[in-house]
Amino acid sequence: MSENTEIMKYVPTTCPYCGVGCGLNLVVNDGKVVGVEAYQRTPVNEGKLCPKGMTCWEHVHSPDRLTTPLIKKDGKHVPATWDEALDLVAKKLKEVSDKHGPRGLGFHTSCRTVNEDCYIFQKFARCAFKTNNVDNCARICHGPSVAGLSLSFGSGAATNGYRDCLNSDLILMWGSNAMEAHPLAGRRVAEAKKKGIPIIVVDPRKTMTARIADTWVRFNPSTHIALINSMMYWIIKEGKYDKKFVEERTEHFEDLKKTVENYADCEAIHGVPLATVKDIAFRYADVKNAVIIYCLGITELTTGTDNVRSLGNLAMLCGNIGREGVGVNPLRGQNNVQGACDMGAYPNVYSGYQKCEVPENRAKMEKAWGVTDLPDWYGVTLTEQINQCGEEIKALYMLGINPAVTYPDSNHVKRQLEKLDFLVVQDIFFTETCQYADVILPGACFAEKDGTFTSAERRVNRVRKAVNPPGEAKEDIWIIAELAKRLGLKTFDLPTGKDVWDDMRAVTPSMFGCLYERMEKPESVIWPCPTPEHPGTPILHREKFATANGKGQFFGLEYRPPAEVADAEYPFTLMTGRVVFHYHSRTQTGRSDMHREVPESYAQINVEDAERLKIKDGERVLLKSRRGETNTVARVTDEVAPGVVYMSMHFAEGVNNLTNTALDPLSKMPELKHCAISIEKLGGN
Amino acid sequence: MVAKGDMIYAWAKDSEVQKKGECGGAVTALLKHALESKMVDAVIAIQKGKDLYDAVPTVITNADDVIKSAGSLHCGTLLIPKLIKKYLNGAKDKKYAVTCKGCDAMAFYELAKRNQINLDNIVMIGVNCGGSVSPVAARRMISEKFEVDPDTVHKEEIDKGQFIIEFEGGHKGIKIDELEEEGYGRRSNCQRCKMKVPRQADIAAGNWGVIGDKAGKATFLEICSEKGANLIESAKAKGALETEAANPKGIEIRGKVENAMFKLGDSCRKRDFEGLGTGKDRLKLIMEESSKCIKCYACVENCPICYCIECSTKKPWYIAPGVLPTSFMFHLIRFAHVSDSCVNCGQCEELCPMEIPNALFMHSQQTEIEKMFGHVPGRDMSPPIHALAEEKAERARLEATGTDSIYINIFDEE
Repeated sequence: MSENTEIMKYVPTTCPYCGVGCGLNLVVNDGKVVGVEAYQRTPVNEGKLCPKGMTCWEHVHSPDRLTTPLIKKDGKHVPATWDEALDLVAKKLKEVSDKHGPRGLGFHTSCRTVNEDCYIFQKFARCAFKTNNVDNCARICHGPSVAGLSLSFGSGAATNGYRDCLNSDLILMWGSNAMEAHPLAGRRVAEAKKKGIPIIVVDPRKTMTARIADTWVRFNPSTHIALINSMMYWIIKEGKYDKKFVEERTEHFEDLKKTVENYADCEAIHGVPLATVKDIAFRYADVKNAVIIYCLGITELTTGTDNVRSLGNLAMLCGNIGREGVGVNPLRGQNNVQGACDMGAYPNVYSGYQKCEVPENRAKMEKAWGVTDLPDWYGVTLTEQINQCGEEIKALYMLGINPAVTYPDSNHVKRQLEKLDFLVVQDIFFTETCQYADVILPGACFAEKDGTFTSAERRVNRVRKAVNPPGEAKEDIWIIAELAKRLGLKTFDLPTGKDVWDDMRAVTPSMFGCLYERMEKPESVIWPCPTPEHPGTPILHREKFATANGKGQFFGLEYRPPAEVADAEYPFTLMTGRVVFHYHSRTQTGRSDMHREVPESYAQINVEDAERLKIKDGERVLLKSRRGETNTVARVTDEVAPGVVYMSMHFAEGVNNLTNTALDPLSKMPELKHCAISIEKLGGN
Repeated sequence: MVAKGDMIYAWAKDSEVQKKGECGGAVTALLKHALESKMVDAVIAIQKGKDLYDAVPTVITNADDVIKSAGSLHCGTLLIPKLIKKYLNGAKDKKYAVTCKGCDAMAFYELAKRNQINLDNIVMIGVNCGGSVSPVAARRMISEKFEVDPDTVHKEEIDKGQFIIEFEGGHKGIKIDELEEEGYGRRSNCQRCKMKVPRQADIAAGNWGVIGDKAGKATFLEICSEKGANLIESAKAKGALETEAANPKGIEIRGKVENAMFKLGDSCRKRDFEGLGTGKDRLKLIMEESSKCIKCYACVENCPICYCIECSTKKPWYIAPGVLPTSFMFHLIRFAHVSDSCVNCGQCEELCPMEIPNALFMHSQQTEIEKMFGHVPGRDMSPPIHALAEEKAERARLEATGTDSIYINIFDEE
C-alpha cells in the first residue's frame, strides 16, 4: 500500500495466554489494535480461539497501562524519566552486588513474555552480577515436568504434539482440565472422540474435560503414585507390558517391579475400586498406541517430580514412547513457559538446558558474552528467593510476574518483599506486586514487540509487532540493554528481537536451526533443530531416549502423602485450578469484557458438606488455613467430592492466602494443589 | 451498451492483468477500474499471505496494488461483510468494491437489512463458488490423498467436479465426491450450499459457460444491477475491459452446471439433516453437542446476523455468568434470533473450538422455517420474519413500559 495509514491491517501473531500457542490475527486500524480475527492458516488451532484468545487484544490500549517509569519517593510512586529510573536501578543493583556479592540479588522472569526477553534477562543477570539466582514461574507450574521427564527420558519437554493424539487408540488424561485451561488442545481430544477414540479422564473433580470422557475416574486428591503403581502392578502381573520395549530401550525395570509389588490394592489410599484400576490399566496396556496428556494436577505437589516420573514409568512399561499416537505430554501452562525454560532463565542451566556446572558450557558463554568468571553454583529458586528476602537476598528484579498474587502464601510473600533493600518491577500494568517496588519500569505487551513464544509442543511461534507501546513505555529488550550499558557490559547491542534470538542461537546447539526465516509460515519449527536444514523434531525419543546412555529410566517410587493433609482442625482438602475466563492474576483478563463472567472468586463446596454446614449456593464463606484466610462465595456442587473444596487461583487475597509453601525436594515446586482448610459460614449473599 | 440481465464474456485489456487474473482477469480489471475512476474509495479483496493457502482480506487504496489480489484462492473461507461492519464503520461514509462468494453476498444483504451496512456504498462483484476448503485441511488433503508436498503447489482450483492442483513436477485432479466421502474436501456448510451464482450482487462472475476460442481466456459476467452495468460500461470506455456477447450454448451449459451444483447441494442437505434425526432425538443431539460450549463467542462475533450491542446471552437473568457447562439457553437464544435468516455461511462451525456443528444445527432450522413461512434469507431486502427493531429505540420503549415482560406488551388484548 502506498499510504502509511493502516486500514484493517492483519498482523498474524501468537496468543499471549496459554501454552497451546494459538495463532491469530490482530487487526490494526490507524496505529491501534481494534480486534482479533481468525488465522485459519495455522495448523495449531486452524482459526479457532477460546474466550481468552478472542479477547486478548482488549487490554492492549487500556487506560491503565503503565506509560512512564515510576520511582517510589516518600512512600508514593512518582513519574520519572527513563534516565532517572535506569540510572537508579543500575546504581542500586550494583550497590547490592558490591556489598553482598552475587547471592545478594535475585531475578524472576515471567513465562508470559517472549523468548528474547527471557534470554536477555538471564544473560544480563549472569553477566552483570555473576549470579545464578535466576528463575521463572515454571518453578510453580511445570518445573516438576522438566525435572521429572529429564530424569525419565533425558528431556523435560512434551514428547509428541497436540494433533498427534488423533493417531492414538486411547487417550489417558491425568490432572488436566484441558477443555478450560488449554481449550485448543482440548479440541484435539474432542476431535479424537468424534473419531471414536476412547478417552479416560482421571481427576478428583467432574470438570468440563471429565464430561467428555468415556470413562471418568474420580480419585482422592494427590494420590497419583498409589494409583499409577497399582495400575502398573496389574499390568506386570498379567504380563501385559511391552517386554521388547522394556528390554531394549529401558533400565531399572526390576526396581519398578519390586516397588509396585506393594500396590496390588490401595483403594484405601486413592479411593478407586480395584475393578476400575484394572479396567483402565488393561485398556491402556492393551491398545497398540496410547498417549498420556497431563497437567498441573500432577505437578503442583510435594511429590510433583515423582508423579511425573510415575507417568513416565507407565508409558515406558507399555512401550508408548517414540512414534505417532503415543507419548507423555505435559500441557505447559503459559504461552512461553516452555520458552522461558528453554532460554535458560533457570538457576542451574543456560539456554538449551546446558548445565552451568559444566566448565565447557561456562567457557562457551563467557566467550560469546564477553565476560569471565560465570558462576557454577546452583542458584536459589523462585520461592526460596522469597524466603531469603532480607537475609541473603537484598534486591529482587521482577519481569512481568506478580508474586503477591500467584506465589503460595501471599501474606508471607508480601512480608518478605517489604524486607528488601531494593525491588524493581518491570511490567505493563500496576499489579499488586508493584505496590512493593522501589522502581517500576513500563514494558511492552505482546502486541508491541517482535519475538517468539515456544508452545508446549516445542513449536517456536512468531510474535509480531502490531502497534507501538503507549506513552513512554519501551520494549523490554531495550530496557535491559540500557541497564547493561550503564553497567559497562559488552555484547548487549542487540536492537531487534531477531538480533537477540540470533545471539541465543549462536550458543544453543539444540535450537541453532530455528531461524526467524523458518518461522514465517505458521508450521514454523519444532526443536530440537540443530541445523538450518534439519526438519525439526515433532516426536521425541524415536530411536533412543535423550538420556546419557539412550535408555529410558524406570524409578521405583513410593507414595508419600502431601505435606499437609486434612485433620480435625482443618477438616477439608483444598484443591486449586484455573477457569477458562481468566488468566492467572487477571492483569489482562480483568481488563477485558470477559471479566463480566467471573468478577470475583468462588469456592466449590460439595452438596453434602454444604447441607451439613447449612451453606447455601451463593452465600459468602470464610475459608481458613494455617497461613491465612479468604472471604469468598460458595458454589454448592457435586463436581467435587465430599471433604474436598476447589478454588481458582485468579484473585488477590484469594486462594493463595491459604496455600502451602512446602516444597517438592527435587524441583522446589511448592504444594499449590493440596492443603488443609476449614469452612465457616458467613451468611448473606 | 450493456444492461441489467445481459450475459457477456469479458477479459482485461492489460496483458499483465490478463495473465495474473483468473480466466482473462476481468474481475481484477473491474476492481482496478472502480478504484482508478474513483467510483470507490477502496477495493476489498483477498490476497495471498504466506502462501496460496493463506487468505488475507486486504483493503487496497492504490489501484496499482489491485493486481496483488489477482487469482482465485479456494482456501479463503472467511466472510468479508462482517469485517466491513466491524472495522470499516459499515461502509457508512466510504465506498468499497468487494469480491464476494455466495455466502458473502447473502451476508451483505442480511447485514443491510439490520442497518449494519450501507449497501449503496458497496459495489459487489460476486464470484461463482463451488465451495471453499479450510487451509490446513487442504494442506492435509494434498499431503495425504494427493501425496504431494503442499509447499510445492503453485495453483489449485475446483473445476468440473474435481479438486485440481498444479505443482512442481505436474498436476493432479481428484473427484470432489471421492475426497468428501473420505472426510476431505470442502467445508461442511459449503457442501450444502445452493448459492452458486450470486445474482444479488451487482455482477456475477465465473468461468462456467465460457466456451469456444475464449475458453479459459475470458470470464462469464452476468450483469445483475444498473450499478454493475455502469461499472462495465465505464471500464470498457476507459479501455480496461473488453467484452463480447456470451455464446448461447455457453449460457445453456452454465445453467446445467448450476443445476448440477443445486442437486449436489440437495443431496448433501438430505444426508446432513437426516443424520440429525427428528423430534426429541434431534433435540437431544443438539443439546449434547452444545454442552461442550466454552463461551468463546466466535459464533456471535462472526455471524452476519448477530449484531446486538447488548447481546441477550450476556444477560445474567438468562444465563448465569461464569458457569460451565454453558447453559443450553445460550444456544436457544442464538437459534431464536438467527434461525429464520441463517445463510449457512459456516463461520460459526469453522471457528468453534469445541467442534460443535453450529452451522448444521442452525441451517437445519432455517430450512424448516423456510418451508413454514416461505422466507428466503440473503437474496434481497425482504425483512426477516422476526421483528426488525432499532435496538436502542426498542430497548427504550420496553423500559418505558415499566415491565420487562415482552409478552404482556405485545400479546395483551386491550
